[in-house]
Amino acid sequence: MSQFLQATVYGLLQGGLLALIAVGFSLVWGVMNVINLAHGAFVLVGAYLTFELNQRFGLDPFAAIVPVGIALFAAGYLVQRGLINMVVKAPIFITLLLTFGLELVLVNGLVLLYSGDYRSVTTGYAGDGFTLLTGVRVPLGRLLAAAVALAITLVLVAVMRHTRTGLAILATGMDRGAARLMGIRARHVYALTFGIATAMAGTAGAAVSAVGTFSPADAGRFTLFSFVAAVLGGLGNMYGALIGGIVLGLVEAWGGQLLPGTLVNAVAFGVLVVVLAVRPQGIAGRAFYASRVEV
Amino acid sequence: MMLEIDRLTAGYGRVRVLHEVSLDVGEGEIVALVGPNGAGKSTLLRAVTAMIPDRSGTLVLAGRSLIGASVEAVAAAGVAHVPEGRRLFPGLTVRDNLRLGGWLGRNKDLAPVLEMFPVLGDRLSQVAGSLSGGEQQMCAIARALMSRPKLLLIDELSLGLAPLLVDEILARLGGIAAAGTGILLVEQDAGAALEVAHRGYVLELGEVVLAGTTAELAADPRMRSAYLGGEWEADAASEPGGT
Repeated sequence: MSQFLQATVYGLLQGGLLALIAVGFSLVWGVMNVINLAHGAFVLVGAYLTFELNQRFGLDPFAAIVPVGIALFAAGYLVQRGLINMVVKAPIFITLLLTFGLELVLVNGLVLLYSGDYRSVTTGYAGDGFTLLTGVRVPLGRLLAAAVALAITLVLVAVMRHTRTGLAILATGMDRGAARLMGIRARHVYALTFGIATAMAGTAGAAVSAVGTFSPADAGRFTLFSFVAAVLGGLGNMYGALIGGIVLGLVEAWGGQLLPGTLVNAVAFGVLVVVLAVRPQGIAGRAFYASRVEV
Repeated sequence: MMLEIDRLTAGYGRVRVLHEVSLDVGEGEIVALVGPNGAGKSTLLRAVTAMIPDRSGTLVLAGRSLIGASVEAVAAAGVAHVPEGRRLFPGLTVRDNLRLGGWLGRNKDLAPVLEMFPVLGDRLSQVAGSLSGGEQQMCAIARALMSRPKLLLIDELSLGLAPLLVDEILARLGGIAAAGTGILLVEQDAGAALEVAHRGYVLELGEVVLAGTTAELAADPRMRSAYLGGEWEADAASEPGGT
């Protein structure tokens, strides 16, 4: 029983982190109809940037979230503006091809710079923790990572719902042509959206670096988890991606208790298939981006 | 003139839809653009707002050329377009749709448009996709007015609406024009359009075939036989001396 509770706590904390990654992925998918296969690579760029800042300046990985977030926002904005905007109205196969290429470039760039070895950023406190009454241990680093992830996600959702810029992003996602008629510069909005998503991936990477080991080869796994969480939650629905991420974390942790490690991914996809069979619109129901009309 | 179009040619790729169309709209003037399906009426509006980037000729708004301007730049210059199918943001509330209409000028003052369309006041927190057809059309016009445009383009206002509702919405256009906004109204229902307009143009196969004041068009035999049909015959018959 206590083993199950331990797995549940671990799953919730891991799920919070996955949610942060998945929300950015889902945002880009929902607003631009681009499935960004390079999303997981941006998580690792954030992790290695944190590693670098820690090695050179001794910066705490959680403090590194701020500079990493800003750097990844800028990078994402430029990548969208200069590269992905060229194909944003092209068939989805073309955007898949382009983002897959981008993923290869980023991952192999990281291998070139840092080799394929596993790295981690150590802190004095991440391994510390406290024990709940039932004997369940809560590691501080993971708790902090999950809390930061949840906070960033909730701030993003609030920004989308209640600010002028957020409203413009939602409107552009629903009907790009109509948004342009309102005077909203769609190219800028797309670049902004992509920048926000990569910034979220980067901050998640900073948190990932503090709670475990990472190598460039993890990029695909993060993209995969984002995809599953986004579809689980309901496409383009940010709360849905949040829930999807947490569900995925739990499934991963519970599955890890019962099954050998390599089968955990299969369990995640099993859950995806079951959810889609029962609720094709995803857990959160009504897709937020109800319609999409191009100019 | 608010809007001056001179020998405008536009189309999709290699297909020319408009052939040297000339047309103008004055300040505070309502101009109807009528004609059969596929004549290029919607294309003309889309060419004005740069939704068709491929266009040539003269296109001037309040002394400023719009040829080469982007969709966003045309909006910033003061043109509001109620597009075909209304194109509301279906998942957003009526309030958010109106706020998006005032996005450029940061206009959040809903009072004037709610005064014009009071029914929207009761629907502010409802998502736009759940409105009835008539309410959606009112919301689309209100959204366009939120930008306080110099020129308002309305595409197929009557489409899918009950005639009574069309009359009700058309009746509001006079007030909008009286405030100085020029209106270019594309309508399938020529009779309804000419009732509120000051002048009109008839477009056929991408060319202007007839133009004039509403009275001139109403009296033109070609216009009467092709577009006005029974409705205006009946009106004429009810007038003293009519047959």
